[in-house]
Amino acid sequence: MLNFLGTIAGNILGLAGILGFTLGLMTRNLFLAAGLGAVVGFVETMGFAGFDMAKVETLDLIIAIGVGLMAGALGCAVRVKGTTV
Amino acid sequence: MSDQDKRPGLLGRIWGWFWSPSGVLSVGFTLIVGFMAGILFWGGFHWSMEMTNTEEFCTGCHTMETNLGEYRETIHYNNHSGVRAICSDCHVPKEWNHKVKAKVMAVKDVYHELMGTIDTPEKYEDHRLKMASQTWKKMKASDSRECRNCHNFDYMDFTIQETRAAKEHQRAIDNNMTCIDCHQGIAHRLPEGYLDEYKRVVDELAMEKGPKSLKTADANPGAIKGYLNKTTSEKTGD
Repeated sequence: MLNFLGTIAGNILGLAGILGFTLGLMTRNLFLAAGLGAVVGFVETMGFAGFDMAKVETLDLIIAIGVGLMAGALGCAVRVKGTTV
Repeated sequence: MSDQDKRPGLLGRIWGWFWSPSGVLSVGFTLIVGFMAGILFWGGFHWSMEMTNTEEFCTGCHTMETNLGEYRETIHYNNHSGVRAICSDCHVPKEWNHKVKAKVMAVKDVYHELMGTIDTPEKYEDHRLKMASQTWKKMKASDSRECRNCHNFDYMDFTIQETRAAKEHQRAIDNNMTCIDCHQGIAHRLPEGYLDEYKRVVDELAMEKGPKSLKTADANPGAIKGYLNKTTSEKTGD
């Protein structure tokens, strides 16, 4: 359980969370924002594993993509709510 | 007074103010202030996290006294060059995502300090094997990532090592072994039955990883040759 929560926290404060949120802020299209966040989560996990699929833990990858997806969607929501453009 | 004219509550008014466009701040001002606030926040956050990596912080709890006493008798605490490895060097990863994960997981240490899980020498000994086992598992799974922040096979000069150490390190390279495979008790006393427990940890990790992928098998010509020899001899009945 701690491992699971730690992985989520690491991703929220890592590239998936922060860059995913920032990219989400750049569009009003929810699906595009979530997709961009998910891509960041995927690339981040692969990058830390040296782009070697054998070194990637499936759970870590799923969590990173999930966190990126939600961060992107949240960024998009902030854009929609907080701007007129 | 109709419902529409009703004044929202405090939270509602704060929410409305937060999302309403500013009529007095320019975009440049907002960006500059946001940028400076970001630097301050991130610097403060990072500084606070680094504070939790100091030896004083790690050993501030009563339950860490046994660990500290054992560590003080090792070469990582006291040596001819004065270069040291403190608690966080071995137990906290350097990479950001792994570090944050380790910090979140360390919340359990606070819980056990409060609950007094290992607050007497007897209780400590009862839990020693379990605690050691958890650390070995983490190190084995990460290929002794924290050891390798300082120790690197690529820069080891085997000619100035003791003969036995040089031989064992060469064996480790040849067999794709990792630091913790041999150095389990490098900073803390080994619990009884540690060899059996370490074997169990290795087996458990191997089970979790599942069968080797074709790509991994591909990189081990010795294993392929052995497998082919075995199947050939089975077929020919040799």
